[in-house]
Amino acid sequence: MTVIDAGRQRVSERKIFENAYMMENVAFTPSGDMVLATLIRPKNLIPSIQVEKGWMMTHGIGIIEMDNNGRMVQLLTDEPNAYYSDPFDIVITPDGQRAFISHSGVDFISVIDLNTIRTLIEGATPEELDTYSHHLGISSRYVTKRIPTGANPKGLVLSPDGDYLYVAERLEDRIAVISTDKLETVKTLDLGGPSRITVARMGRRIFNNSGGTFQNQYGCYTCHPDAHEDGLVYNMAGKDMGRNLANTQTLRDIGDIPPYKWNGKNSSIYKQDGMRFSTILTRTEAFDYDQLDALVAYIVTGIKNPPNLRYNPNGELTEAQKRGKKLFYRTHDNFGNEIPEGNRCITCHPPPYFTNMQMADVGTLSETDDPMLFDAPQLNNVYESAPYLHDGRAATLEEIWTRFGENDKHGVANDMMKDQLNDLVEYLKSLRDAKYYMEEVKTYKADINPQ
Amino acid sequence: MKRLKQVLHNGTRISLVLLLSVSLSGSSPSEKNSYPEAGDMPVYGNWQTFTTKNGLPDDKAYCVRIDGDRVLVGTKAGLAVYENNEWRTYSVEDGLAHPGVLSIDVSELTGDVWIGTLGGMNRWSAGRFETYTQFNSGLANDVIYSVICDGKDVWAATGGGAGHYDTYSRTWGIYTERNAPMHEPWTYGVCAGDGKVFIAAWGGGVIEYNTKTKKFRDYVDPDGEMELDVFPDDGVVHDITTGVSHANGILWVATYFGLSRYDGVHWKGYFDHDSGLLSNFINFLKADGPVVFLCTDLGLSTFDGDTWVSYHIKDNSHNGEILITNGEGTKKIESPTSISHNFVIGVDTQGDEIWIATSKGVSRGERLN
Repeated sequence: MTVIDAGRQRVSERKIFENAYMMENVAFTPSGDMVLATLIRPKNLIPSIQVEKGWMMTHGIGIIEMDNNGRMVQLLTDEPNAYYSDPFDIVITPDGQRAFISHSGVDFISVIDLNTIRTLIEGATPEELDTYSHHLGISSRYVTKRIPTGANPKGLVLSPDGDYLYVAERLEDRIAVISTDKLETVKTLDLGGPSRITVARMGRRIFNNSGGTFQNQYGCYTCHPDAHEDGLVYNMAGKDMGRNLANTQTLRDIGDIPPYKWNGKNSSIYKQDGMRFSTILTRTEAFDYDQLDALVAYIVTGIKNPPNLRYNPNGELTEAQKRGKKLFYRTHDNFGNEIPEGNRCITCHPPPYFTNMQMADVGTLSETDDPMLFDAPQLNNVYESAPYLHDGRAATLEEIWTRFGENDKHGVANDMMKDQLNDLVEYLKSLRDAKYYMEEVKTYKADINPQ
Repeated sequence: MKRLKQVLHNGTRISLVLLLSVSLSGSSPSEKNSYPEAGDMPVYGNWQTFTTKNGLPDDKAYCVRIDGDRVLVGTKAGLAVYENNEWRTYSVEDGLAHPGVLSIDVSELTGDVWIGTLGGMNRWSAGRFETYTQFNSGLANDVIYSVICDGKDVWAATGGGAGHYDTYSRTWGIYTERNAPMHEPWTYGVCAGDGKVFIAAWGGGVIEYNTKTKKFRDYVDPDGEMELDVFPDDGVVHDITTGVSHANGILWVATYFGLSRYDGVHWKGYFDHDSGLLSNFINFLKADGPVVFLCTDLGLSTFDGDTWVSYHIKDNSHNGEILITNGEGTKKIESPTSISHNFVIGVDTQGDEIWIATSKGVSRGERLN
């Protein structure tokens, strides 16, 4: 959590909620005694099979006690056999007695008794607070009600008098009005969205809902927020168990670039999200055919790359990016030696997706990995997909070659000067959506297949 | 009560002056004086020394930077921060890239502290250390001799070229002999001013980078002589430069062979044999307004283009000595306090306060006139 001194307009502190991420929103109590934020506590490095035992992904709130030296506390809003995934927004009543939290993955609003929380954590020892942060049963003390909503509740706002809670039901195109006295929806405000729910729209709801996972622990969205990736590495242990780390990959614009998974075992998104998905990851009933159709339709058609505003807002490459592009396409090293075709950047990463959709050994297999080749990942908008490599060992693009490219198996790069590597990285950061490279594909193919 | 010895430049003692001083606090004696021979130049004294005995992690201090109510000191064994009369050390365990901290600057835009070390560069932002190295970023090299903030831009003089980081676009640049008029990639100092960035390049004089035109030009010693400056005032005194600083439209250049001043038209050289400069061996310099502060191996010299005021420890004594040199000669004034060591490596000033980093401790002085 970043603390900004509003007077000085400076970041004054960065407070770390240990073992937590995806903090989407934050609220002060009116008296200012507490700051509360939604969060998720992932257990990403335990074998994913753990999901059937529960407690794989837990969800809750982070609290900073302003009156207690900024002490930081985490409390779960889940229950032992029911998880309230993807907490998004939090608001606090004007009297500071209650908080409301939207759980966008399960379509519920939780009502929190803040006085109970104040009593619970007051005087608690650090050891007790640590226990609380893991404790699935303790939420029964302070979660006083679960209010059902329409699909994908996100933003919340209270009326100034605190009598009504307005809920943005994102995938209903609707605002729910909840009476904070009755604690039930008393009215809905339709925003005029389409009355017919398309297959892709249905798929989007499935994507954002945790109903397909054992006890609602997580949905697709949880690890793929904004249909991208959460930046974490998960231990996707197979049937033989052990350690099998996999860096979460983006889902943006992947419809035309099979195979899927780092090991390329899934030849289609149907296969990726079908029975195998259920066996390994969700540990519950697989999606039925209609659900699977809908989910695949959404993933194939509904997830686009955002514009690369940071490094390539208008297609005009910088001088460094131009130099980097030459290195990306190069066929000879700095000493004039021809680079074997299979060891050139452009061979495995050709436009427009910058993947040849083939498997390759780039020298990164670790002792704990199952023996395998790796699917060449696409590079569109790669600048926002850190960490890199199949197990996320490279924190930055540079590290792919400075720390993990000593054998030149992931493209020849060891002949480069540091400024050349910088140029190459700048070019990679400039890559944007595939649609911008359709002409370049023709040029590239003409170059490699001259008539 | 205290005594000051006044000695003429030729060493002839002409008077012994007894001065009565009244200490309002009734504690340590004050060295307050008007020092008319110094003119507008600040004169510092009442030196207070800090070493490991006072909480510094190591006596070897490479740099110092005053940041409001706190003082940041780069030492051989970590970053030391003096605040509320206490020292606190930040080490590799806290996120520092390397124990050896060679350079520190503070961004006026964000308040972030940028730290150059012998093993990478840190951004210390609101309590969090972020590390940039040549392995995980576009940083030119992990040995950072100098780092400065110029608006949103961060510049670093490294052992592998001058590095530039645009904190807005998050892009890096490297400038070496491959793309700039340098003799070799080793750079020692960097400063900014008047829309230009000046780089002290080892063996390459001063490299000027125009931030608008993106063009380079170099300033080298025209006589090309490495042993002595054959023609005075023909350019920078030597191609081996150790630091640059720009203020009030003046570029000051430090070398191990003397000092250069450049007003945009004319160069002027200063040496220990013909000026008040304590030594030609200048480790570091910093200009603040009209005054340049010069860290030499024989003490601290300050200069405004007319008058020199220098500070060192007298031989065979723990006393300090202030030397004021103007057109009329040099006046030597003995001081009951002194800088902690004559091998001065870093300096910074703020208001009436001065801090210097030396090879044996850190000193804090206050303005006397």
